[in-house]
Amino acid sequence: MSNKKAVNRDSERIPRGSPRGCGFFWCEKMISCNDITFRYPAAEAPLFDGLDVTIDKPGFHALFGPSGVGKTTLAKIISGDIDNFSGQVEAIGGMRCLYTYNRERLPGWSSVGRHLEKTTPPGRQPLRDEFIHHFGLTKLMGMRYSQLSMGQCNRVNLLRYLLQDFSILIMDESLANVDEPTRQAILYKIKSIFPAAGFLYISHNVVEVARFCDQIVVFRGAHQSPQTCRISGQDHREDRPLDKIALERSMLEIMNAA
Amino acid sequence: MLHRRVFQFFIVYLLGIGLLFGIKLALNLSDYVIPGPTGVWHTGQAEFSRYMGDVLDTFAVAVIGQVLSILMALGVGVAGRRATWFGSFIKVAAYNVQAYPIVAIAPILFILLGDGFLTRLFIAAMICYFPLLLSVIGIMSEPVVDIEHFYRVTGRMRWQLEVKIRAFENLHKLTTVISGSATLAMAGTIVAEFIAANAGIGYSIRIALYQSDLSKILVALFIIGITLSLYQGILELLGAGLKKAWAAG
Repeated sequence: MSNKKAVNRDSERIPRGSPRGCGFFWCEKMISCNDITFRYPAAEAPLFDGLDVTIDKPGFHALFGPSGVGKTTLAKIISGDIDNFSGQVEAIGGMRCLYTYNRERLPGWSSVGRHLEKTTPPGRQPLRDEFIHHFGLTKLMGMRYSQLSMGQCNRVNLLRYLLQDFSILIMDESLANVDEPTRQAILYKIKSIFPAAGFLYISHNVVEVARFCDQIVVFRGAHQSPQTCRISGQDHREDRPLDKIALERSMLEIMNAA
Repeated sequence: MLHRRVFQFFIVYLLGIGLLFGIKLALNLSDYVIPGPTGVWHTGQAEFSRYMGDVLDTFAVAVIGQVLSILMALGVGVAGRRATWFGSFIKVAAYNVQAYPIVAIAPILFILLGDGFLTRLFIAAMICYFPLLLSVIGIMSEPVVDIEHFYRVTGRMRWQLEVKIRAFENLHKLTTVISGSATLAMAGTIVAEFIAANAGIGYSIRIALYQSDLSKILVALFIIGITLSLYQGILELLGAGLKKAWAAG
Protein backbone atom coordinates (compact mmCIF):
# COMPACT_ATOMS: atom_id res chain seq x y z
CA MET A 1 0.00 0.00 0.00
CA SER A 2 1.19 3.43 -0.73
CA ASN A 3 -0.13 6.71 0.44
CA LYS A 4 0.70 10.31 0.00
CA LYS A 5 -0.30 13.23 2.13
CA ALA A 6 0.55 16.41 0.32
CA VAL A 7 0.17 19.91 1.67
CA ASN A 8 -0.23 22.81 -0.70
CA ARG A 9 1.21 26.12 0.35
CA ASP A 10 0.51 29.21 -1.63
CA SER A 11 -1.27 32.54 -1.70
CA GLU A 12 -1.60 34.99 1.13
CA ARG A 13 -0.88 34.28 4.73
CA ILE A 14 -2.77 35.61 7.71
CA PRO A 15 -0.29 36.16 10.57
CA ARG A 16 0.06 33.51 13.25
CA GLY A 17 -1.72 34.39 16.46
CA SER A 18 -4.45 36.22 14.62
CA PRO A 19 -7.78 35.05 15.98
CA ARG A 20 -9.38 35.52 12.56
CA GLY A 21 -7.02 33.33 10.65
CA CYS A 22 -5.05 31.00 12.91
CA GLY A 23 -2.06 31.18 10.58
CA PHE A 24 -4.09 29.88 7.69
CA PHE A 25 -2.84 29.42 4.09
CA TRP A 26 -5.19 29.85 1.16
CA CYS A 27 -5.30 27.44 -1.75
CA GLU A 28 -7.70 26.22 -4.39
CA LYS A 29 -9.03 23.09 -2.70
CA MET A 30 -9.51 22.59 1.00
CA ILE A 31 -9.35 18.82 0.89
CA SER A 32 -8.78 16.47 -1.98
CA CYS A 33 -8.91 12.72 -1.37
CA ASN A 34 -8.19 10.63 -4.44
CA ASP A 35 -8.63 6.90 -4.92
CA ILE A 36 -8.68 6.12 -1.21
CA THR A 37 -8.84 2.44 -0.40
CA PHE A 38 -8.90 1.32 3.19
CA ARG A 39 -9.84 -1.81 5.07
CA TYR A 40 -9.76 -2.34 8.83
CA PRO A 41 -7.51 -5.31 9.67
CA ALA A 42 -10.34 -7.38 11.12
CA ALA A 43 -12.86 -6.50 8.40
CA GLU A 44 -13.65 -8.77 5.46
CA ALA A 45 -14.46 -6.01 2.96
CA PRO A 46 -12.80 -2.64 2.48
CA LEU A 47 -14.57 0.35 3.96
CA PHE A 48 -13.43 2.55 1.09
CA ASP A 49 -12.69 1.27 -2.38
CA GLY A 50 -11.29 4.00 -4.63
CA LEU A 51 -13.05 6.78 -2.74
CA ASP A 52 -12.79 10.33 -4.12
CA VAL A 53 -13.83 13.27 -1.99
CA THR A 54 -13.13 16.90 -2.79
CA ILE A 55 -14.08 20.00 -0.89
CA ASP A 56 -13.33 23.01 -3.04
CA LYS A 57 -12.74 25.88 -0.67
CA PRO A 58 -12.20 26.64 3.01
CA GLY A 59 -15.34 27.16 5.06
CA PHE A 60 -17.69 25.20 7.23
CA HIS A 61 -18.44 21.83 5.66
CA ALA A 62 -19.87 18.52 6.82
CA LEU A 63 -19.50 14.78 6.58
CA PHE A 64 -22.93 13.21 6.87
CA GLY A 65 -24.30 9.69 6.80
CA PRO A 66 -25.52 6.83 8.94
CA SER A 67 -23.30 5.23 11.59
CA GLY A 68 -20.58 2.94 10.33
CA VAL A 69 -20.25 4.30 6.78
CA GLY A 70 -16.77 5.73 7.39
CA LYS A 71 -17.14 9.39 8.35
CA THR A 72 -14.78 9.11 11.30
CA THR A 73 -12.40 6.88 9.34
CA LEU A 74 -12.14 9.40 6.52
CA ALA A 75 -11.67 12.18 9.08
CA LYS A 76 -8.80 10.24 10.65
CA ILE A 77 -7.26 9.60 7.23
CA ILE A 78 -7.39 13.32 6.44
CA SER A 79 -5.92 14.28 9.84
CA GLY A 80 -3.20 11.65 9.58
CA ASP A 81 -4.41 9.54 12.53
CA ILE A 82 -4.81 6.64 10.09
CA ASP A 83 -1.96 6.15 7.66
CA ASN A 84 -2.23 2.58 6.40
CA PHE A 85 -4.45 3.43 3.43
CA SER A 86 -3.75 3.63 -0.25
CA GLY A 87 -4.49 6.73 -2.32
CA GLN A 88 -3.73 10.40 -2.02
CA VAL A 89 -4.84 13.03 0.46
CA GLU A 90 -4.10 16.67 -0.17
CA ALA A 91 -5.03 19.34 2.30
CA ILE A 92 -4.60 23.08 2.40
CA GLY A 93 -2.42 25.10 4.67
CA GLY A 94 0.92 25.02 6.33
CA MET A 95 -0.56 24.34 9.73
CA ARG A 96 -1.94 21.19 11.24
CA CYS A 97 -5.15 19.43 10.37
CA LEU A 98 -6.60 18.72 13.80
CA TYR A 99 -9.16 16.07 14.57
CA THR A 100 -11.29 16.29 17.70
CA TYR A 101 -14.03 13.96 18.87
CA ASN A 102 -16.68 14.01 21.51
CA ARG A 103 -15.30 11.46 23.95
CA GLU A 104 -12.06 13.29 24.65
CA ARG A 105 -11.28 14.10 28.27
CA LEU A 106 -9.18 16.63 30.13
CA PRO A 107 -6.67 15.41 32.72
CA GLY A 108 -8.25 15.02 36.14
CA TRP A 109 -5.56 16.79 38.16
CA SER A 110 -6.34 20.35 37.19
CA SER A 111 -9.43 22.54 36.93
CA VAL A 112 -10.96 23.42 33.56
CA GLY A 113 -9.75 27.03 33.85
CA ARG A 114 -6.20 26.00 34.75
CA HIS A 115 -6.08 23.51 31.88
CA LEU A 116 -7.27 26.11 29.38
CA GLU A 117 -4.69 28.59 30.69
CA LYS A 118 -1.91 26.06 30.19
CA THR A 119 -3.00 25.00 26.70
CA THR A 120 -3.73 28.45 25.26
CA PRO A 121 -0.98 29.56 22.86
CA PRO A 122 0.60 32.96 23.57
CA GLY A 123 -1.51 35.86 22.37
CA ARG A 124 -4.77 33.93 22.29
CA GLN A 125 -5.93 34.77 25.83
CA PRO A 126 -8.50 37.36 24.63
CA LEU A 127 -9.92 34.83 22.16
CA ARG A 128 -10.07 32.22 24.93
CA ASP A 129 -12.00 34.57 27.21
CA GLU A 130 -14.36 35.46 24.36
CA PHE A 131 -15.03 31.78 23.67
CA ILE A 132 -15.49 30.96 27.36
CA HIS A 133 -18.17 33.65 27.53
CA HIS A 134 -19.92 32.65 24.30
CA PHE A 135 -19.77 28.93 25.00
CA GLY A 136 -21.45 29.54 28.39
CA LEU A 137 -18.52 28.14 30.35
CA THR A 138 -17.68 31.05 32.65
CA LYS A 139 -19.05 29.36 35.78
CA LEU A 140 -17.24 26.09 35.10
CA MET A 141 -13.66 27.37 35.17
CA GLY A 142 -13.02 26.28 38.77
CA MET A 143 -14.52 22.84 38.26
CA ARG A 144 -12.86 19.52 37.45
CA TYR A 145 -13.63 17.83 34.16
CA SER A 146 -15.24 14.90 36.01
CA GLN A 147 -17.78 17.30 37.53
CA LEU A 148 -19.08 18.52 34.15
CA SER A 149 -22.05 17.23 32.18
CA MET A 150 -21.40 15.59 28.80
CA GLY A 151 -22.45 18.70 26.91
CA GLN A 152 -20.18 20.88 29.05
CA CYS A 153 -17.30 18.44 28.52
CA ASN A 154 -17.76 18.65 24.76
CA ARG A 155 -17.87 22.44 24.77
CA VAL A 156 -14.68 22.69 26.84
CA ASN A 157 -12.94 20.19 24.60
CA LEU A 158 -13.93 22.00 21.40
CA LEU A 159 -12.88 25.34 22.88
CA ARG A 160 -9.32 24.24 23.55
CA TYR A 161 -8.96 22.99 19.97
CA LEU A 162 -10.26 26.26 18.53
CA LEU A 163 -7.43 28.07 20.31
CA GLN A 164 -4.71 26.02 18.59
CA ASP A 165 -2.98 26.60 15.26
CA PHE A 166 -4.79 24.70 12.53
CA SER A 167 -5.51 24.78 8.83
CA ILE A 168 -8.44 22.42 9.09
CA LEU A 169 -10.35 21.42 12.20
CA ILE A 170 -12.40 18.25 12.00
CA MET A 171 -15.16 18.24 14.60
CA ASP A 172 -16.45 14.70 15.07
CA GLU A 173 -19.75 15.10 16.90
CA SER A 174 -18.01 17.74 18.97
CA LEU A 175 -21.28 19.36 19.97
CA ALA A 176 -23.13 16.17 20.91
CA ASN A 177 -25.24 16.53 24.06
CA VAL A 178 -25.19 20.32 23.76
CA ASP A 179 -28.63 21.92 23.77
CA GLU A 180 -29.96 23.35 20.50
CA PRO A 181 -29.73 27.13 21.21
CA THR A 182 -26.19 26.84 22.65
CA ARG A 183 -25.08 24.67 19.73
CA GLN A 184 -26.47 27.20 17.29
CA ALA A 185 -24.76 30.10 19.09
CA ILE A 186 -21.45 28.22 19.09
CA LEU A 187 -21.62 27.42 15.37
CA TYR A 188 -22.44 31.04 14.50
CA LYS A 189 -19.54 32.18 16.68
CA ILE A 190 -17.06 29.78 15.09
CA LYS A 191 -18.10 30.88 11.60
CA SER A 192 -17.76 34.55 12.45
CA ILE A 193 -14.40 34.19 14.21
CA PHE A 194 -12.82 31.94 11.57
CA PRO A 195 -14.26 33.06 8.22
CA ALA A 196 -11.23 31.81 6.31
CA ALA A 197 -10.48 28.57 8.15
CA GLY A 198 -11.50 25.09 7.09
CA PHE A 199 -13.91 23.02 9.19
CA LEU A 200 -15.28 19.54 8.68
CA TYR A 201 -18.27 18.97 10.91
CA ILE A 202 -19.44 15.41 11.51
CA SER A 203 -23.01 15.23 12.72
CA HIS A 204 -26.14 13.10 12.40
CA ASN A 205 -28.40 16.13 12.57
CA VAL A 206 -29.67 16.78 9.03
CA VAL A 207 -31.21 20.15 9.89
CA GLU A 208 -27.97 21.35 11.43
CA VAL A 209 -25.70 20.32 8.57
CA ALA A 210 -28.12 21.64 5.93
CA ARG A 211 -28.39 24.96 7.72
CA PHE A 212 -24.84 25.69 8.83
CA CYS A 213 -22.62 23.91 6.34
CA ASP A 214 -21.52 25.02 2.90
CA GLN A 215 -20.75 21.65 1.32
CA ILE A 216 -22.05 18.37 2.71
CA VAL A 217 -20.34 15.14 1.78
CA VAL A 218 -23.01 12.46 2.15
CA PHE A 219 -21.73 8.92 2.69
CA ARG A 220 -23.83 6.26 0.98
CA GLY A 221 -22.08 3.10 2.16
CA ALA A 222 -19.27 0.96 0.76
CA HIS A 223 -21.47 -1.02 -1.64
CA GLN A 224 -23.00 1.95 -3.44
CA SER A 225 -21.49 3.77 -6.34
CA PRO A 226 -20.45 6.50 -5.99
CA GLN A 227 -19.71 6.00 -2.31
CA THR A 228 -20.26 9.65 -1.55
CA CYS A 229 -22.01 12.59 -3.11
CA ARG A 230 -21.76 16.28 -2.40
CA ILE A 231 -24.73 18.49 -1.59
CA SER A 232 -24.74 22.25 -1.15
CA GLY A 233 -25.95 23.50 2.20
CA GLN A 234 -27.15 26.95 3.23
CA ASP A 235 -23.92 28.01 4.99
CA HIS A 236 -26.09 30.23 7.16
CA ARG A 237 -24.56 33.04 9.20
CA GLU A 238 -26.04 35.01 12.04
CA ASP A 239 -26.19 38.27 10.08
CA ARG A 240 -28.07 36.85 7.07
CA PRO A 241 -31.73 35.90 6.69
CA LEU A 242 -32.42 32.17 6.37
CA ASP A 243 -34.10 30.96 3.19
CA LYS A 244 -36.36 28.30 4.65
CA ILE A 245 -37.41 26.88 1.28
CA ALA A 246 -33.79 26.47 0.24
CA LEU A 247 -33.03 24.86 3.60
CA GLU A 248 -35.83 22.34 3.11
CA ARG A 249 -34.54 21.62 -0.39
CA SER A 250 -31.03 20.99 0.97
CA MET A 251 -32.43 18.68 3.63
CA LEU A 252 -34.40 16.72 1.06
CA GLU A 253 -31.35 16.40 -1.18
CA ILE A 254 -29.29 15.13 1.74
CA MET A 255 -31.92 12.58 2.74
CA ASN A 256 -32.33 11.40 -0.85
CA ALA A 257 -28.58 11.07 -1.29
CA ALA A 258 -28.03 9.11 1.94
CA MET B 1 -10.03 0.59 54.44
CA LEU B 2 -7.69 -0.12 57.37
CA HIS B 3 -10.35 -1.60 59.64
CA ARG B 4 -11.73 -3.67 56.76
CA ARG B 5 -8.30 -5.20 56.13
CA VAL B 6 -7.85 -6.06 59.84
CA PHE B 7 -11.39 -7.39 60.07
CA GLN B 8 -10.86 -9.60 57.00
CA PHE B 9 -7.64 -10.96 58.53
CA PHE B 10 -9.38 -11.81 61.81
CA ILE B 11 -12.10 -13.71 59.93
CA VAL B 12 -9.57 -15.70 57.88
CA TYR B 13 -7.35 -16.41 60.91
CA LEU B 14 -10.24 -17.48 63.13
CA LEU B 15 -11.65 -19.69 60.37
CA GLY B 16 -8.23 -21.32 59.93
CA ILE B 17 -7.62 -21.88 63.61
CA GLY B 18 -11.22 -23.05 64.06
CA LEU B 19 -10.68 -25.63 61.33
CA LEU B 20 -7.56 -26.91 63.12
CA PHE B 21 -9.41 -27.22 66.43
CA GLY B 22 -12.27 -28.93 64.58
CA ILE B 23 -9.86 -31.50 63.11
CA LYS B 24 -8.30 -31.98 66.56
CA LEU B 25 -11.74 -32.66 68.08
CA ALA B 26 -13.00 -34.82 65.23
CA LEU B 27 -9.90 -37.03 65.10
CA ASN B 28 -9.22 -36.83 68.84
CA LEU B 29 -5.65 -35.69 68.22
CA SER B 30 -3.23 -35.07 71.08
CA ASP B 31 -1.95 -31.61 72.10
CA TYR B 32 1.43 -32.61 70.69
CA VAL B 33 -0.02 -32.72 67.15
CA ILE B 34 -2.50 -29.83 67.43
CA PRO B 35 -2.42 -27.85 70.68
CA GLY B 36 -5.67 -26.77 72.33
CA PRO B 37 -6.86 -23.17 72.65
CA THR B 38 -5.36 -22.74 76.12
CA GLY B 39 -2.00 -24.05 74.92
CA VAL B 40 -1.98 -21.56 72.06
CA TRP B 41 -3.02 -18.74 74.42
CA HIS B 42 -0.23 -19.54 76.92
CA THR B 43 2.35 -19.75 74.12
CA GLY B 44 1.08 -16.43 72.81
CA GLN B 45 1.56 -14.78 76.21
CA ALA B 46 5.05 -16.23 76.55
CA GLU B 47 6.35 -15.56 73.02
CA PHE B 48 4.46 -12.50 71.86
CA SER B 49 7.15 -9.90 72.62
CA ARG B 50 9.99 -11.93 71.11
CA TYR B 51 8.00 -12.84 68.03
CA MET B 52 6.81 -9.25 67.62
CA GLY B 53 10.47 -8.14 67.50
CA ASP B 54 11.22 -10.87 64.96
CA VAL B 55 8.25 -9.89 62.81
CA LEU B 56 9.31 -6.24 62.89
CA ASP B 57 12.83 -7.28 61.87
CA THR B 58 11.43 -9.25 58.91
CA PHE B 59 8.95 -6.51 58.13
CA ALA B 60 11.71 -3.87 57.99
CA VAL B 61 13.68 -5.96 55.49
CA ALA B 62 10.51 -6.59 53.45
CA VAL B 63 9.59 -2.89 53.35
CA ILE B 64 13.09 -1.83 52.27
CA GLY B 65 13.08 -4.58 49.62
CA GLN B 66 9.63 -3.54 48.44
CA VAL B 67 10.59 0.15 48.20
CA LEU B 68 13.69 -0.78 46.19
CA SER B 69 11.68 -2.97 43.85
CA ILE B 70 8.99 -0.27 43.41
CA LEU B 71 11.66 2.26 42.44
CA MET B 72 13.32 -0.19 40.05
CA ALA B 73 10.00 -1.28 38.54
CA LEU B 74 8.89 2.32 38.01
CA GLY B 75 12.20 3.26 36.40
CA VAL B 76 12.41 0.24 34.13
CA GLY B 77 8.65 0.22 33.47
CA VAL B 78 8.67 3.86 32.34
CA ALA B 79 11.72 3.24 30.16
CA GLY B 80 10.22 0.06 28.71
CA ARG B 81 6.72 1.39 28.03
CA ARG B 82 7.44 2.33 24.41
CA ALA B 83 7.10 -0.04 21.47
CA THR B 84 10.82 0.28 20.73
CA TRP B 85 13.35 -2.53 20.68
CA PHE B 86 14.36 -1.59 24.24
CA GLY B 87 10.74 -1.67 25.40
CA SER B 88 10.19 -5.05 23.73
CA PHE B 89 13.42 -6.38 25.22
CA ILE B 90 12.40 -5.28 28.72
CA LYS B 91 8.94 -6.85 28.38
CA VAL B 92 10.21 -10.17 27.02
CA ALA B 93 12.95 -10.31 29.66
CA ALA B 94 10.49 -9.50 32.46
CA TYR B 95 7.98 -12.12 31.28
CA ASN B 96 10.66 -14.78 31.01
CA VAL B 97 12.46 -14.03 34.26
CA GLN B 98 9.27 -13.79 36.30
CA ALA B 99 8.30 -17.25 35.03
CA TYR B 100 11.30 -18.62 36.91
CA PRO B 101 10.88 -19.15 40.68
CA ILE B 102 13.27 -16.63 42.22
CA VAL B 103 13.26 -18.55 45.52
CA ALA B 104 15.05 -21.36 43.73
CA ILE B 105 18.14 -19.22 43.32
CA ALA B 106 18.12 -18.20 47.01
CA PRO B 107 20.68 -20.87 47.99
CA ILE B 108 23.13 -19.40 45.47
CA LEU B 109 22.70 -15.99 47.09
CA PHE B 110 23.30 -17.42 50.54
CA ILE B 111 26.47 -19.12 49.32
CA LEU B 112 27.73 -15.94 47.67
CA LEU B 113 26.54 -13.30 50.17
CA GLY B 114 26.23 -15.21 53.46
CA ASP B 115 23.13 -15.38 55.68
CA GLY B 116 22.89 -11.74 56.76
CA PHE B 117 20.69 -8.76 56.03
CA LEU B 118 21.78 -8.25 52.42
CA THR B 119 20.71 -11.68 51.22
CA ARG B 120 17.27 -11.39 52.82
CA LEU B 121 16.87 -7.93 51.32
CA PHE B 122 17.94 -9.11 47.89
CA ILE B 123 15.52 -12.05 47.86
CA ALA B 124 12.63 -9.90 49.14
CA ALA B 125 13.27 -7.31 46.42
CA MET B 126 13.65 -9.93 43.68
CA ILE B 127 10.44 -11.73 44.60
CA CYS B 128 8.21 -8.66 44.39
CA TYR B 129 10.15 -6.88 41.62
CA PHE B 130 9.03 -8.86 38.56
CA PRO B 131 5.27 -8.92 39.25
CA LEU B 132 5.53 -5.19 39.98
CA LEU B 133 7.49 -4.58 36.79
CA LEU B 134 4.95 -6.45 34.66
CA SER B 135 2.10 -4.43 36.18
CA VAL B 136 3.91 -1.11 35.74
CA ILE B 137 4.83 -1.92 32.12
CA GLY B 138 1.23 -2.97 31.47
CA ILE B 139 -0.10 0.30 32.89
CA MET B 140 2.51 2.55 31.33
CA SER B 141 2.36 1.03 27.85
CA GLU B 142 -1.44 1.38 27.60
CA PRO B 143 -2.30 4.81 26.12
CA VAL B 144 -5.14 6.83 27.65
CA VAL B 145 -6.21 7.86 24.15
CA ASP B 146 -9.12 10.11 25.13
CA ILE B 147 -6.79 12.34 27.16
CA GLU B 148 -3.54 11.96 25.26
CA HIS B 149 -5.02 12.70 21.80
CA PHE B 150 -5.13 16.46 22.35
CA TYR B 151 -1.53 16.66 23.57
CA ARG B 152 -0.32 14.42 20.78
CA VAL B 153 -1.98 16.23 17.86
CA THR B 154 -1.04 19.68 19.18
CA GLY B 155 2.59 18.63 19.68
CA ARG B 156 2.53 19.10 23.46
CA MET B 157 3.16 15.52 24.49
CA ARG B 158 6.32 14.95 26.53
CA TRP B 159 7.30 11.67 28.16
CA GLN B 160 6.82 13.16 31.63
CA LEU B 161 3.27 14.20 30.75
CA GLU B 162 2.55 10.80 29.23
CA VAL B 163 3.71 9.05 32.41
CA LYS B 164 1.76 11.52 34.56
CA ILE B 165 -1.49 10.92 32.62
CA ARG B 166 -1.14 7.15 32.73
CA ALA B 167 -0.14 7.09 36.40
CA PHE B 168 -3.03 9.38 37.38
CA GLU B 169 -5.59 7.41 35.41
CA ASN B 170 -4.34 4.11 36.86
CA LEU B 171 -3.50 5.21 40.39
CA HIS B 172 -6.01 2.79 41.89
CA LYS B 173 -4.45 -0.11 39.96
CA LEU B 174 -0.94 0.98 40.96
CA THR B 175 -1.96 1.25 44.62
CA THR B 176 -3.50 -2.24 44.52
CA VAL B 177 -0.39 -3.69 42.87
CA ILE B 178 1.95 -2.02 45.37
CA SER B 179 -0.22 -3.09 48.27
CA GLY B 180 -0.27 -6.65 46.93
CA SER B 181 3.48 -6.67 46.47
CA ALA B 182 3.87 -6.11 50.22
CA THR B 183 2.70 -9.71 50.74
CA LEU B 184 5.22 -10.91 48.17
CA ALA B 185 8.05 -8.99 49.81
CA MET B 186 7.14 -10.37 53.24
CA ALA B 187 6.82 -13.90 51.84
CA GLY B 188 10.18 -13.53 50.11
CA THR B 189 11.89 -12.40 53.30
CA ILE B 190 10.34 -15.19 55.38
CA VAL B 191 11.31 -17.81 52.80
CA ALA B 192 14.85 -16.44 52.79
CA GLU B 193 14.90 -16.71 56.60
CA PHE B 194 13.57 -20.27 56.38
CA ILE B 195 16.42 -21.25 54.15
CA ALA B 196 19.47 -19.87 55.88
CA ALA B 197 19.12 -16.55 57.70
CA ASN B 198 20.06 -16.00 61.32
CA ALA B 199 17.30 -13.54 62.27
CA GLY B 200 13.67 -12.68 61.62
CA ILE B 201 10.36 -14.45 62.10
CA GLY B 202 11.16 -17.00 59.38
CA TYR B 203 14.18 -18.06 61.41
CA SER B 204 12.01 -18.34 64.56
CA ILE B 205 9.39 -20.39 62.69
CA ARG B 206 12.14 -22.70 61.46
CA ILE B 207 13.19 -23.32 65.09
CA ALA B 208 9.53 -23.89 66.09
CA LEU B 209 9.27 -26.34 63.20
CA TYR B 210 12.26 -28.31 64.48
CA GLN B 211 10.56 -28.38 67.92
CA SER B 212 7.26 -29.44 66.28
CA ASP B 213 5.57 -26.65 68.28
CA LEU B 214 2.45 -25.69 66.34
CA SER B 215 1.42 -23.14 69.01
CA LYS B 216 4.48 -21.03 68.29
CA ILE B 217 3.82 -21.20 64.55
CA LEU B 218 0.18 -20.13 65.06
CA VAL B 219 1.27 -17.18 67.21
CA ALA B 220 3.87 -16.19 64.61
CA LEU B 221 1.28 -16.41 61.84
CA PHE B 222 -1.08 -14.21 63.81
CA ILE B 223 1.54 -11.48 64.28
CA ILE B 224 2.68 -11.70 60.64
CA GLY B 225 -0.91 -11.46 59.42
CA ILE B 226 -1.93 -8.54 61.58
CA THR B 227 1.25 -6.60 60.72
CA LEU B 228 0.78 -7.18 57.01
CA SER B 229 -2.93 -6.28 57.13
CA LEU B 230 -2.12 -3.01 58.87
CA TYR B 231 0.65 -2.23 56.38
CA GLN B 232 -1.52 -2.97 53.34
CA GLY B 233 -4.36 -0.92 54.80
CA ILE B 234 -1.99 2.00 55.34
CA LEU B 235 -0.67 1.68 51.76
CA GLU B 236 -4.24 1.77 50.41
CA LEU B 237 -5.03 4.79 52.57
CA LEU B 238 -1.90 6.53 51.29
CA GLY B 239 -2.91 5.73 47.69
CA ALA B 240 -6.41 7.11 48.21
CA GLY B 241 -4.99 10.21 49.92
CA LEU B 242 -2.50 10.74 47.10
CA LYS B 243 -5.24 10.50 44.46
CA LYS B 244 -7.42 12.93 46.42
CA ALA B 245 -4.58 15.42 46.89
CA TRP B 246 -3.50 15.13 43.26
CA ALA B 247 -7.05 15.54 41.96
CA ALA B 248 -7.50 18.59 44.19
CA GLY B 249 -4.51 20.19 42.51
